[in-house]
Amino acid sequence: MEKVLMKGNEAIAESAIRAGGLCYFCYPLTPQSEVAEYLARRMPEVGGAYLQAESEVAVANMVYGAAGAGARAWSTSSSPGISLMEEGISYIAASELPAVFVNIVRTGPGLGGILPSQGDYFQAVKGGGHGDYRCLVLAPSSVQEAVDMMPLAFDRADRYRNPVMVIGDGMIGQMMEPVEFKEPKFPPLPPKDWATTGAKGRKPNVVNSLYLDPKAEERLNNVLAAKYEKMKREEVRFEEYNTDKPYRVLLVAYGTTARICKTAIEKLDAEGIPVALLRPISLFPFPEAKVLELGRKAEFLLSVEMSMGQMVEDVHCAMGHEKPVYFFGRSGGIVPSPEEVVDAVKSRLEGGKS
Amino acid sequence: MAKVFKVTIEKNRCKGCGLCPNACPKQVLEMSKEINDKGYFYSQVVNLPACIGCRFCAFMCPDVAISIEQEEAA
Repeated sequence: MEKVLMKGNEAIAESAIRAGGLCYFCYPLTPQSEVAEYLARRMPEVGGAYLQAESEVAVANMVYGAAGAGARAWSTSSSPGISLMEEGISYIAASELPAVFVNIVRTGPGLGGILPSQGDYFQAVKGGGHGDYRCLVLAPSSVQEAVDMMPLAFDRADRYRNPVMVIGDGMIGQMMEPVEFKEPKFPPLPPKDWATTGAKGRKPNVVNSLYLDPKAEERLNNVLAAKYEKMKREEVRFEEYNTDKPYRVLLVAYGTTARICKTAIEKLDAEGIPVALLRPISLFPFPEAKVLELGRKAEFLLSVEMSMGQMVEDVHCAMGHEKPVYFFGRSGGIVPSPEEVVDAVKSRLEGGKS
Repeated sequence: MAKVFKVTIEKNRCKGCGLCPNACPKQVLEMSKEINDKGYFYSQVVNLPACIGCRFCAFMCPDVAISIEQEEAA
């Protein structure tokens, strides 16, 4: 297909439709409102369901219901909205249902502001809602990658019967870039024989997340834990940049900041300071083994984020005490400049602040 | 006769990306201190007489929020 110029939010919406995400519930929130605006027009054209709910709490429960009935249900929101949805996401995980949530992250805490941020890393990766569950978390760093990720997100949600979170930021949502809609092929999925589609001629299916019997609850926890272990084996995704030759510093960054790091690396290369980048594409499962492997070849690691330091904890966890792990970030909606990243690398190379 | 230009910015289409003040060679544009309906600090005209009608800002705007018109000088 031809390349078209599209805004990130609209491209995500179109890609989801093409992936069969025809049950969409939403509540508008800057900077993701264009997803809802685009789908309000587009869903009737493709025979899908579009519903603007009264709140994000309602949205998450509508997704829960539609997913339970076997639909490819999904929603988008931004940070404060995702916070409201987390209760429903926990129920969806407990009920082992597939659903996709896109978080176009804005600044926080609280209502925060509407500019780009990566401050929802903890929320997305460490659970978000209550209880022992995880989302598969994917982080695009371009509009094209966001487009490519939507079919994957729906497929993996169905395959694992678990919520998948696509985490972009205000930049990915608002930026316009050329995109191409590919038609990825996935192996056939098992039938949704658990869905509540009407119990004619069979036993009723029950969608439930209440387990008062401790043994039954622990059985569920074990089933979920086994899924997350499988994800850790099979769903780790990352990109290496400049790692094919010796380097002094390993940057770890995802999403928008990874792009800034690439420019910073070019600038540092020109100054004779070789630096490499590891860009996690899956944030859960986190590419721990890769961090350790690549980090061992560097003098130190620097986690670059649009937050006050969240992913850096996972980098630290993966690296142990083998190499120093430092952090550089801007917050409040300020996107770090490549020059700032260059300075952050150089100041630590010279044995400056840590 | 000096050409006179009219610069119209649809403030509610602006997402405050800040590309246009950067593209303008004459510092005609500046980001506002107020927010628009969406909550963004929008681009606004602060020095219209300096505009040379190059349209760099309009071409640069990803959201097609800027129009430049040439007016007859009075």
